[in-house]
Amino acid sequence: MSNTGKNASQNFTQTELLVHALVIELEAVQSYKDLAEQMEQCGNTEVAALFDKMSKLEAEHAEKIREAAGDVELTELPPWEYRWPGLEPPENIDLAGVHYLMTPHQALELALENELSAMAFFDAIAHDSTDDQVGSLAQEFGDDERQHVAWMKEWLAKYPPPDDDWDYDPDPPAAID
Amino acid sequence: MVRRMSVAAPCKLKASDYKSGTKPVWCPGCGDFHVLASLTKAIAALALVPENLAVVSGIGCSSRIPAYLNCYGFHGVHGRALPLATGLKVARPDLTVICAGGDGDGFSIGGNHLLHACRRNVDITYVVMDNEIYGMTKGQPSPTTAPDWDSELAPGGTGVSPFHPLVIALASGANFVARTFAGDVKGTTRTLAEAIGHPGFSFVQILSPCVTFRPDQREWKNKVHPPPVTFTTDPAQAARRVMTDDGFNIGVLYKGSRDIYGQAVERNAEFERDLDAEFLV
Ligand SMILES: Cc1ncc(C[n+]2csc(CCOP(=O)(O)OP(=O)(O)O)c2C)c(N)n1
Ligand code: SF4
Repeated sequence: MSNTGKNASQNFTQTELLVHALVIELEAVQSYKDLAEQMEQCGNTEVAALFDKMSKLEAEHAEKIREAAGDVELTELPPWEYRWPGLEPPENIDLAGVHYLMTPHQALELALENELSAMAFFDAIAHDSTDDQVGSLAQEFGDDERQHVAWMKEWLAKYPPPDDDWDYDPDPPAAID
Repeated sequence: MVRRMSVAAPCKLKASDYKSGTKPVWCPGCGDFHVLASLTKAIAALALVPENLAVVSGIGCSSRIPAYLNCYGFHGVHGRALPLATGLKVARPDLTVICAGGDGDGFSIGGNHLLHACRRNVDITYVVMDNEIYGMTKGQPSPTTAPDWDSELAPGGTGVSPFHPLVIALASGANFVARTFAGDVKGTTRTLAEAIGHPGFSFVQILSPCVTFRPDQREWKNKVHPPPVTFTTDPAQAARRVMTDDGFNIGVLYKGSRDIYGQAVERNAEFERDLDAEFLV
């Protein structure tokens, strides 16, 4: 299993931080896009539309990071060299939480979890970095994620939590005829 | 057979460039989505040219993977992916050949082919998406299913001992053996890149949850852990390790240096040519 070292958040250079921030967003764009397509395939159009919207939101965020990078060349690393604290980039949806009958509320809960882990990722760098410039850039990225957390919470309040039988399928895949 | 891998792409392609326009029909949450992501990232990192790359599969949910890739693909017959991949590589050694499928395809109906593919050591990479079930046909137990896994199709469990694919591969002569977890995209990508780059028959078992028929496998992400030690070059030691682990150690287990298929034959032919030349009057 690929893991980061204990104090990995201390050691980011500014370019590394920018590359990680950009790749987090690009990965999230793809992950939400894939999920939107998966939900569309299953006829869960409401959640598909929501994931599609999330993908667009993350794409805007990626653009913002590119702008923040200015002239700094952001060269992607080999995929196994990224230093995420978990198995996946912090803003990627945990597939283990996905279900074809999931409700918008559940989808938004997963999205909120992502924003929280992205925020924690940048906050840890801001806190641990020994380089002031890196620290303040990480703080900025952390604040952006805080803003996203607030949006997610607002959205969540608009959708009711799922009923107890949310995963009831009158024609379940496991049925043996 | 001289080892040849396709040359690197002249301009670097992104992982998404290796995905085809066909949208996967896997259930949302299926581990195979992660395998697709890891495989495209690995081949992008190796800068393999799509036209020199072929992915061969059998039948099953996991075996659909060639359709979702932008390279040559062959969706073969159930259990016969390895003979197809072997034939392709022997006929076209310039191609990078990856064989993919499920535990049903590779260990049940195709089990015998696995033994001989390991033994022959043709330079291909075999990726098994192991969900301990036949996903496509609605959840029958497979050779890696635990004996007490209770289901509608096997009430009370099969009571049959599961198969140890990694031990079988080691005992049969595979040259690279690893286990990964689909949800660990970073680790799986790295292992796949290593496996493809390693000469000979590379075998990668990917624990890939079937969220529909084995919802319990959603918990695998909390069970997997890195191995306590690094890979070994001793197959017996590797086999002992994997026989005694909990099934959730992930990482590269074994890297061998056996002659790949055809190398010894080529060396002998060269020796015979030299001998002939010596005795030529
Ligand atoms: C010769 C033959 N026998 C049986 C089948 C039915 N069949 C299709 S897929 C499959 C098992 C698939 O299981 P696995 O390889 O583990 O793939 P998964 O669907 O779990 O990814 C079986 C038995 C078939 N297609 N052909
Ligand atoms: S049935 Fe299982 S293996 Fe097949 S696509 Fe669905 S989750 Fe994946």
